[in-house]
Order: sequence, then C-alpha cells, then structure tokens
Amino acid sequence: MNFPHYTRRHWLQKSGAGLGGLGLASLLADEGLLGTDDPLAPKKGHFGGRAKSVIWLFINGGPSQVDTWDYKPELEKMDGKELEGFDKNTGFFANAVGPLMKSPFEFTPRGECGKMVSSIFPKLGEHVDKMAFIHSGHTESNNHSPALFMMNSGQPRMGLPCVGSWVTYGLGSESRDLPAFVVMSDPLDRGLPKGHAANWGAGFLPSVYQGTWLKPKGDPIDNLNRPKHMSDAQQLRQLALLKKLNGEHIKERPGDAELEARIKSFELAYRMQNAAPEAFDIDREPEHVKKLYGVGEKRCDHFARQCLTARRMVERGVRFVQIYSGGMENQRSWDGHNDIKGNHSQFAGETDTPIAGLLTDLEQRGLLNDTLVIWGGEFGRLPLTQKSKKPGRDHNPHCFTTWMAGGGVKGGVSYGESDEIGHHAAVDKAHVNDIHATILHQLGFNHEKLTYNYNGRRFRLTDVGGKVIKPILA
Amino acid sequence: MRKQVLTIAVALSGGPVLSQEGHAEKMKEGIALFQKTIRPALIDNCLKCHGDEKVRSGLDLSTRNLLLEGGDSEDAIDLEKPGESYLLTLIRHEEEDLEMPPKKDKLPDSLIADFEKWIALGAPYDKPLLERKGERPAEMRVTDSDREFWSFKPLAKVAPPKAGGKWVKGEIDQFVAEKLQQNNLLPNSQATDRDRIRRAYLSVIGLPPTADQLKAALSMSHVDLVDELLASPHYGERWARHWLDAARFAESHGFEQDYNRKYAYHYRDFVIKALNANMPWDEFVRLQVAGDEIDPENPLAMMATGFLGAGVFPTQLTEKEFESARYDELDDMAATTGTAMLGLTIGCARCHDHKFDPIPVKDYYRFVANFTTTIRSEIDVNLDSEEYQLALKEWQVRDAQSMDARAAFEANPKLVNLFERWLKTDARSSVTQSEWMNLDVKSAVSSHKATKLKQQAEGAILAVGAAGAKEIYTVKSAPPSGMMRFLRVEALTDSSMKRKGPGRASNGNFALSNLKLLAVSRDGEKRELKLVGAKATHQQNKSNLSVASSIDGNFDGTGWAVDSGGIGKDQAAVFELEKATKLNSGEMLEVELRFSNNTQHSLGRFRLSVSGNPAPSVRVGGGKDSAISAALEALAKGTLDEKQRKVLFQQYLISIPEWVELDAAVRNSLGTKPKPSVTKVQVTSEGFKPTKHHADGRGFPHFYPETHFLSRGDPNQKKGVANAGFLQVLINNGKASADWQEQPPAGWKRTSYRRTGLANWMTDVENGAGHLLARVAVNRIWHHHFGRGIVSTPNDFGLQGKLPSHPELLDYMARRFIASGWDVKALHRDIMLSATWQQSSAPSPKKAAADPDNQFLWRFTPRRLEAEIVRDSILSSAGQLDTKMYGPGTLDERHRRRSIYFMIKRSRLVPMMQIFDQPEPLSSQGSRPSTTIAPQALLFMNNPQVVSWAGALAASVSSKETDEAIRELYRRTLSRDPTATELRDNRAFIDAQSSSYQGTKNGKQLAYADLCQVIFSLNEFVYLP
Repeated sequence: MNFPHYTRRHWLQKSGAGLGGLGLASLLADEGLLGTDDPLAPKKGHFGGRAKSVIWLFINGGPSQVDTWDYKPELEKMDGKELEGFDKNTGFFANAVGPLMKSPFEFTPRGECGKMVSSIFPKLGEHVDKMAFIHSGHTESNNHSPALFMMNSGQPRMGLPCVGSWVTYGLGSESRDLPAFVVMSDPLDRGLPKGHAANWGAGFLPSVYQGTWLKPKGDPIDNLNRPKHMSDAQQLRQLALLKKLNGEHIKERPGDAELEARIKSFELAYRMQNAAPEAFDIDREPEHVKKLYGVGEKRCDHFARQCLTARRMVERGVRFVQIYSGGMENQRSWDGHNDIKGNHSQFAGETDTPIAGLLTDLEQRGLLNDTLVIWGGEFGRLPLTQKSKKPGRDHNPHCFTTWMAGGGVKGGVSYGESDEIGHHAAVDKAHVNDIHATILHQLGFNHEKLTYNYNGRRFRLTDVGGKVIKPILA
Repeated sequence: MRKQVLTIAVALSGGPVLSQEGHAEKMKEGIALFQKTIRPALIDNCLKCHGDEKVRSGLDLSTRNLLLEGGDSEDAIDLEKPGESYLLTLIRHEEEDLEMPPKKDKLPDSLIADFEKWIALGAPYDKPLLERKGERPAEMRVTDSDREFWSFKPLAKVAPPKAGGKWVKGEIDQFVAEKLQQNNLLPNSQATDRDRIRRAYLSVIGLPPTADQLKAALSMSHVDLVDELLASPHYGERWARHWLDAARFAESHGFEQDYNRKYAYHYRDFVIKALNANMPWDEFVRLQVAGDEIDPENPLAMMATGFLGAGVFPTQLTEKEFESARYDELDDMAATTGTAMLGLTIGCARCHDHKFDPIPVKDYYRFVANFTTTIRSEIDVNLDSEEYQLALKEWQVRDAQSMDARAAFEANPKLVNLFERWLKTDARSSVTQSEWMNLDVKSAVSSHKATKLKQQAEGAILAVGAAGAKEIYTVKSAPPSGMMRFLRVEALTDSSMKRKGPGRASNGNFALSNLKLLAVSRDGEKRELKLVGAKATHQQNKSNLSVASSIDGNFDGTGWAVDSGGIGKDQAAVFELEKATKLNSGEMLEVELRFSNNTQHSLGRFRLSVSGNPAPSVRVGGGKDSAISAALEALAKGTLDEKQRKVLFQQYLISIPEWVELDAAVRNSLGTKPKPSVTKVQVTSEGFKPTKHHADGRGFPHFYPETHFLSRGDPNQKKGVANAGFLQVLINNGKASADWQEQPPAGWKRTSYRRTGLANWMTDVENGAGHLLARVAVNRIWHHHFGRGIVSTPNDFGLQGKLPSHPELLDYMARRFIASGWDVKALHRDIMLSATWQQSSAPSPKKAAADPDNQFLWRFTPRRLEAEIVRDSILSSAGQLDTKMYGPGTLDERHRRRSIYFMIKRSRLVPMMQIFDQPEPLSSQGSRPSTTIAPQALLFMNNPQVVSWAGALAASVSSKETDEAIRELYRRTLSRDPTATELRDNRAFIDAQSSSYQGTKNGKQLAYADLCQVIFSLNEFVYLP
C-alpha cells in the first residue's frame, strides 16, 4: 500500500536523477516542496501529457483476437484445414493441435467507422468510434506468467517495476486520500492472475510505488477502520496527544523534514480513514449510473462494481487503475483452451455492459479526455483448434489485439494488421515495448528518459526497445 | 528503429551528402574548430572509453559516421537542434550519474560552447581519431589501466592521519576528523548516555533496552556494553536480516504458482548462526558459494548453499522455455554472487560487454559457467553429525562386545560336547513339537506392483511400498511335512504402519476379503483345498467384518477386520480344512489372500502356518519352522546334515539360561543404536536429485552439462562452450583462473569443484578478488551503522557506483578486517567504540548547509527503524516478544516471534513489513529506502496487532497509580522518564480518556492502551536516536 508522502533525501536524489534531464531542484521548487521529500507529490512528465490517469481493463488469460476485434474472413474459408508448417510448440499443449477454426461468433459492422465487431460485444460495439485498435501486438512468451510480466513490466521476468509503478514514480499522485496505483482482481473466487502480486509490484523501485491490491472481500484496504472500542472523539484525543508529544520532541530538532513529515502523515492518515471508504462506496451512486454499468445484473454485477469503483478512483485523482477480468487459468479466465465459444461468451458477458458503461460515464463527465482506457491481455490465441471436449484455442504470443480509448488517442482507427488468418502480427508490428512507450507518451514521458538507477544500471520500462505508436494519437 | 529515425533526420538537415547553401564554409569553419579544440578534447577525455579500448554505451567517437550512429539509448548529437544534443547534456553535467567525462572535472565552459558550435556546424571531422584496419574493436580488452580504478586496486596501506586531537577515540576518528577539517566542519559532541545505550541496543540487537537493562548499562563501560550486546543471540537475528536483503532471500519460487520452498528457512538460520558464532567473513562467503564441497559433513555448510538457489524460478515451463529459464537461473546465481559479495554488477554483461565496468561478455559466461551443474535440491541432512558419529562409534564398540560374548559362549568346546550329548538323549523330548508349523515360503507377490512382499525371519512377510486400493497377495511354499488340518493367518504389527497396523489402511486396519488355499502340481495344475470353519483372536464384528466372512465367497463386501480394539496388536485367525490333507509328492502349497472390500486395507505384516493337530489353539506365535521338524526327523533317521545340526543347536541354546541372557544383551543393544537427527534442507549443489518441478513430466532437464557463450543473451545463438573462469579485472600479478581451480579429491564424484575454485578466487587477498570482497563487506557494515556507506552504493563498486567519501578509511578498515581474520564482531567494535559513532544526532542548520547528507559525519544520522525493528520494538516493549529462535517461519501476522521469522513468500509479502520498506526479494538489495507514508500512520492507529500489543502493555501498568504507570510506560518504551510537561499531558489524557470510557468494562485499561498506542507512534519511539 502506498500513498502520499515523504522520503529520505538520498532516495529522492535518486528519483530526481531518474527523471532524466529534469532538475530535481526546479521540480521541487515548482511544487513548493523543497525539504519535504514527498515521493508521491504530483510531478510533471517530460512534456505535457494528454492523459492524467489510466484505467487498464486487463483481459486476463489471453483473449482471442479472431473472436473479438480482429475480423478474419479468410479464416472462415480455411475452416477445418490443417495449417501447414505450424510449430506445435507455439501454444502450451503441443499434443492437442487441431486444424484451423473460424470464429464461432458473427461479426457485424459497428459505429460510424464500421468496425467489424464480434457478436459477444453488443454494447461495447457502440463505442468503437472511441477506440484505437492495435491488431499487430506480439509478445515474447507463450506461457501465462512470463507473458503477464511482459505486459505489466516490459520483460518476461519476475521482479521489474510494473507500468503503474513507473507511472506513479514519474507523475506522483493527484490524490492525498487514496493509493496512487490500484489493482482489482476477480472477486468470484477464481483466483489471481498467474504470478500474483508480482504483476503489480514495484520491483526495485521503492515500495511506495507498488500497486495497492484492493481485497475483493471485506475491507478493501488494511487498517482503514478505527479500533472497535474507540470513538472518533477518542481517536482524535489520541492524535492530539501524539501531536503534542511529537511537537515537544521536534523542538529539539528544528528543521528535520523527515520528522515533520511523519507528524503530518498522521493527519493525512486520519483524513484517508474517512475519505477512502467513501471513495469505495459505490452505493452512493445514483441508480441510473449503477444501471448504466450493469450493477445488479447477475452475470456482470461484480465487474460493473469494479468499473464504477475505477471511475470513482480516477475522479479523485488516482493515477493508475488496473482491473483483471477473470481469475487464474483455463475456465477461470479468458484462457479458452476448452470451448472457446462458451468461454469467451461468458467473459464477454461479464464485461460488455460494465466497460461500455464506463466509457459512456467517463465521456459524460468529461473524464475520458484525461483518462486513457486500455483493453488487453497478456497474449492472443491461435486461429487453430485446440482439441478438447469442445473446441478451444491455445496461447498465441505472435499476435494479439488491444485497444485504447480516451487520453488523447484517436477513435475509430486501427493500427497494424495480423496475417490473413490472425496467426502472426504482419503489418506495422507492435511489440509490448511499443505499447508501453505509447502509454508513457500519452502521460507525458519520453519512455527512454523515464529511468531508475539500480545496481549499477539505468533501468527503464521499455528496456532497450519501444517506439511510440504515433498514428493512433489524436 | 532509432537508427532509421536518425537517418531521416540527417538527410533532412544536411548530413553527409549535402547541397545546402554555405555548406563549404560551414565545413571549413567546423574542421578548423575540430582541429583546434574538439579533437584534442575528444582524445584526452573521451576516446579511451568511446572507441579505443572500449565502446561504452555503444558510443564510438572515432569517426564521424560512428558518432552519428549514436549510442545504445540516445543519439549523441542532434544536427537539427544542436543545443539539445545528448552529448552536450552529459558534458554539461545535466544528467545525474552520467556526468562526462566521468570522475573528472567538468570541461571548461568555453570548450563546451565550442562543442555546441561544432555540432551546429555539422560536426565535421578532418580525419578519424583512430586509424584502424578493421571497423570496430572486436571485443573488450581488460587492461592494467582498468585495474587502476579505485575499487579494483589492491587495498592501500595507509596510516591514520594526525587529526582530531582530543575528540579522537580510535583510528576511525582520525580519518573522519581529517575530512571534517577539510570541509570546515566540527563533529557533534558525545551523545547522552541514554541515547548512546538506546542506539547501541537498537543497532546491535534491534530491540530497545528494558528498564533493567538500561539501568545495568548506565553503570557499565561502553566497551563492556558493546561486547555484551555483540554476544547476544539477538545480534544474529538483527544483522542476518541485512544480509538477507542482499541475498534476495525468500522461501517460495515466485512466478505462476509461487510454490513454497519448505526447507529454505535453513539458509536464514545459517546466516543467524554464522553471525552469532562470529564466523570469519571469508568463510561465510566460501560456505555460501561452495559449502557443499568445502565441508560437506557440516550441516551449516550445506545450509549455507541456500544462498545460490534463493532466487525466483518459474513453476510452469513449456519446452521452448527450458533453456532460457536455466540461463536466467544461472544469471541469478552469478549476478547475486557478484552484487552481494563483490559489489559488481556482473549481470549487466549478459547481452554485451558491460557498458561501464571492465567486464567483457566472455568474462560473464565464464563466471556463469562456475554454476553450470549447480541446482536446487532437498536433501536429508544429519543435524548433529559429529555427535551422532561419536555416539555411533561408542555403540558399535558396545554392540561388538555383546556379540563377542555370545559368540564366545557358543564356541566353548565344553558346550559343544554337552550339545552332542543332548542330541543323543534329550533332543527329541525337549524340542517341543509345535502344533503350528510356519510355511517354508518360496515366493510372495502382490497384484499391486508398488507393493513388495519381503520375507523376514521366522516366516513373517512384510509389505513395503505404497499400498494399492485393492490387492491380492499370492504366497507359495514348500509342502509341509505331514497332515494339514488347519491354516493359520497371523496379522502382525510393525512400526512401518499407521498405529503399527497390522493393516495398511490409514487407521491401521485391514480386511481379508477372501482366503484361498491351493495345492499346485509340478505342471501347474491347481486343486483348491476348501476351508470351512474359522476362528480368530479378535474380529471387528460378527457379520460383514467377521473372520468367517473371509471364506464366505463374497469378495468385495465382507472380510475379516480387526478394528474396535484390535489395532496395534498381533492377531491370528484359524481356518479349518474341509478334509485333512497331505500333499502329493511334487505338489506345492499356495495361499491367496484377497483385500478388496475396502481401500488400501491390505495386511502390512503377516505369517502363515499350518497344523496337523486336530484341535490347535487359536493364538499368535509358537509356530515352529518346518526346518526343525525336518531336522528332528533326520536326527531320528541318522541323516542329520550340517545345516540341520545348526537348526538343532539353536534349539539347544534356547534351553540354557546363561545363553538366553547373552542373547538378550545382543537384542537390547540393537534397540539402543543411536539414530541420526535428520532434517530436510534445501541446498544448492550438484549431483543430488533436483527439487521436483511441474515440468518434470515434460522432460525438463533442470540443467545442461555445458554453458555456452551466447550472443545477446539468446540461447538460440550459441557461440561455443564457456569454461569456468573468473573476472579478468580482479586477477592480478599475471595469474590465471586455473591458479585457483581445484580438482575434486580422489573418490569424490558428486560435484565438479568449480565453485570451490570460485570461492578460492573470491577470498584470495594476494592475487584474487579478496581485497574487493573486504571493501564491500566493511562498507555494508558501515552502511548499516551510519545509514550511509562510505560508498553510498553498497551494491555497486563499479564505475557507475559512487566514489567513497573516505577512501583511505575504507581501505584502512578493510586491511584491518583481513588482518583480524575477517573478524566481523571486531569490526563492529571498532566502529561502535569510535567517537564518530558515539556522536550526538543533534541537528545543526549551519553544518547541514555545508553537508546536508552528512556524508562527512558531523553527526550521527538519526533515522527511522526498519520494518522488522519497529515491530520487534513494540513486541518487546509490550513484553510480548517470543524469543524462540530458528525453524520454519509463518505468514501469520499475529505471531509474536521476531520479524525475521516471518516466512517470505513472494506472492504474499507481509503487509506490515512492506509498508515500512522491506524490499521485494527478487534481486539483491543493498540499501532500503526509508519512506514516510500515511498507511504507516494508519497501521499505528488501527492495526489489530498494534492495538492488541498496546493492550498487553497497558494491562501490565494500569493498576498502578497514574503518574507511576506513566513513568513505567516511558521507561519500558523510551528508556527514560517523562518530563514534567509530558507527565502532565499524559495524565490529562488518561483522565479524559478514562472518563470517556466510563461505563465500559476495563475503561481505565482501555485508556492506557490508547496511550500505549500513542507512545508506539511517537517519532522518538521509531527513530534511532
């Protein structure tokens, strides 16, 4: 957990260095923060970014591009044919490779742009004019957790800072009362994404930048409730005494910013204790808003609540929100090894109304301009059948589709192409590093200059790669 | 991609091919400037690392084309916007940690202006800076000039400067005083006794002094206090945690399933024990790298190897990932060894020559090759091997004595004569003809392959291996002599079974579903000998689990079982043959025992016997081997052979009380054989069975017999086999890796001894890496005492690391450290006895203005306690600390042991630790940040554990008079009495809070608990004074 405030001077120097050419002193002077060393104070990027915050709808398990947004008429024609020269080790199950399989879903043109969209997204289809599709995504692992790490931290290894951590490290937080980087996982007991908390870890960045996982049950954040035996007045009396005694102590140590910061942190904590539960309480929303997201609808209630929470978060200045659709692997997430039709129908059904509601709501409130919404998972799926009780599809690291909306990206556009059957990214290939470079760019960063010095090396999210996908930018 | 962009930029702005107006004049002016100032500046300051000996960061300045290509991450110059060129940013020192030229003064402003102008003129060269036949230098060469970098040099021999005057308490202070003097700073005065004592307690053992300890310490010399604390077992628990950060220690794999490494905690215990025992640091290092080779009989040495295997590893792998996962694992071992022990970022040379340090990519793979066959295994380690060996030897002597005594008795010629007489006279009458004759078993098999039926002494049969759900045992025996009227099945106990059996079911039961007796002719023809009546010593009931149900023809529903009072005891069942039978000649006897009416309900140990007696007793035991009756028959016929003679001799011996006593001594001795105290330990070694892995089923090999040089770190681009070797930059005086490498001793096959060679080189202070090893160790300890190392990047002593603030002091201490035999506690002592350490932490705006980071040590830097120490201090002050040491840890936040005993599971890091900056255990961490964030305050305010510990502390004082209670609380938590103001404020709080709890049960105690929480939250409580 990690929100506001202060850190030691030596550390801050490190962070200043990380911001490339930006001088630390000027940065702090701008914020009037000299001497307070606040690791989450709002900071500026390298240039004015179009987006202030990010909501990443993580389509966990690997959504199938050819069954969602990447319409492949050629695949229909080749349905049932063997794919010659196919490397059986591409997916996870080398012994279950079947022939090519067309999408079990119908595609129809949607929106003004006429984007062909799968029938599993009846409501989301209405929003294609807000979306910029990237059809040529590709990644480096055919296995869930390395691919998840790749998508979240830029390398298929455990232990590097995640996108949300980099972003809050670079931009700080606009919210004093809420965590800067929030993660929501599946609340239906279907598990956590593979690799668990490493998917929102800060790696070698200070732990203030790690994502705060909202517990799906009970209090979302630890220690937010006053001890049961105590009244508000009694706690305030405690805090008053604490302030007084700390005040005596600091008299002998004038000018110690760290001690001052610690005194302040109790005031902030008290405010958070009141403000955070309010922010998480979606029941305060009017009925028509809840309905818009699908709150109360049986199959999508859980995701609707999370999307609505996400909006309440960004509205209050939270920098980065990630929501995982689905739990762990197989039938518990979009990992449709078995019965791709049933699997994707189910998970699309869980998310279609809530995400459509989120886009509508953000737009109506004027938040969409500042909020980059991302839809995407860790890899795509093969256009072939995975032999199973009911036909499924296996992992495909060579091609996936992701889309972005709001936050300064164009609507109704598509970037890159997969090959005619959706097996490999073919035209204008977009590596995961490129997607990350683009996200950072929208937030105002030169991805090559957002760096952190650790064990003798300057690390960055995009490692040694990354190019901004400019054609989708407004 | 960058390169493409650059090409376009060059084309647009008029690079090499240009037809712009005024171009010729610009070129002329540019070349003139180049010749006058730029060329000499480049040659003097830049070329060595950027084109000549090295091509650091991929930037080569030797020709214009190479300059235009730029470095790995940036274009060096921007011809369109010359002022924004990255090269200028670096030489203007606008990028921290990348100031160019490095470790040198900034270039004069006029020269920097020339650079900008020259770039604006198109950055022309008159000719390349280097004449080279080939293009780029093929690979990095490590030269003697690389060894001139401060940290690679041998330790300087320095005498402490004459500085500091009376303030000085030891040599350390002389070095510190000199630097202070040079910077016009004066040290702070000595800290108060209370601050000094509290600082010593928190620094050395990580717990605040109790009121009694404080009192004792006040009347003790500082030396005695330091020695006492260093001797405390808590010292190891506190300082081990520092090393565990550097060792990226955790107890789970990470990745997909994050499986627990159940036996990894032994490494944590090793570190605690080694520190407490003041193990010399070089030994500490050697054991972690190669303890399994250097001292394999020493359990601690085996546990030490947990270091290498503590890194993350995927739990799920596809075939495509096998090899790259292994190279990642090797990288983790090599990188962590490099960083934690040598302060070198070796891992950076995996894909290319190190960009900053003189570590060629080849050195990296040779270094990695030391770990080629090294893997994680879980093995049984004998914890008390020495004690055990000793006890075993003693026992063997005793055991031999009793055996000898019995043998001597048996060999006595007098006895032999008596036996001969006995044979003639008493044999037949004294060897009782038994009513039960044990079958002479020839074979026994189970239908379930995993079950093996082993024949034991006296006709017993033991079932070993995993029991099958249903099984049929088939036992074949030689034909018993004489008439058979009854068959007996003895169900026998054994410690191999649950509750000693006699059955293999999870409750010790069995169920004999069906029993069949067959006569088998020589040509395999079988005739069933029908069983009709049944009796048993015990049966579970009279119906479906009765003894009669074993011959009721119902296979899967009924059968003799013995629960309800019969478990853990020997039992017997007797079955009557329909007809008394004598086998025909050539016939064998076969018994089929079927266990199928309940899962895994087979017999664990049993014996079969027959009787010709018309009414034999139903009992356990007393069966005689058929060999005896055969021998008696032979005796009667006068055909007694040597074997039969021996059988009868045994019978004779049983009748002699003296012998029985001697025999009992032998049997007793067996029961007292010492058993080793064995525990499972996770080790990182070679030749043991690898720790089980998900991908074993896919054929995951765990390691490959050879390590290859890889191009760009890619296992698909192998460039030949890399032999084990060490880093050239730390090989001095013309030595070679082979000088440290060792062959395994004769007869040693399990490991390669490559890591022993590595350990030799790392700890060699003559020609190897020993001096750097000492520098890095001393600096770590200094870092944890002062909150900042002499080198403020404890994990990086390379060119990217910070230069030491007190280089002579560091070398002086490192030299002393080596000379002391790498004595860690002596080093602590030196540091803590210094005036530098004993200074007050009082702030001074004036001094802070001159040295805001206190790098020159004008005061002791106050700082927040680490996560573990915050928690441990609360527990200890509240009298709640459980001081049990070692053993498996826990994730339960309610536990009350020291925080080092939290289990470290990578996917479930303990929130209470994380919130106070305990790092993620993914790669080596040399220093922790110290953040102040609101969730920490929330923890003090609302965390259920903090509240409960505050309650416990309150309960111990709340019955006292208010002022006395407050005084006691202050002593226990803050090691001092409250001031008058504090007393007043606290009293007022207690009064107000108590009255607000009026009507609540325990109102007063709650008020005190609330006060305790306030005290735990105080800056004073959580800061090192």
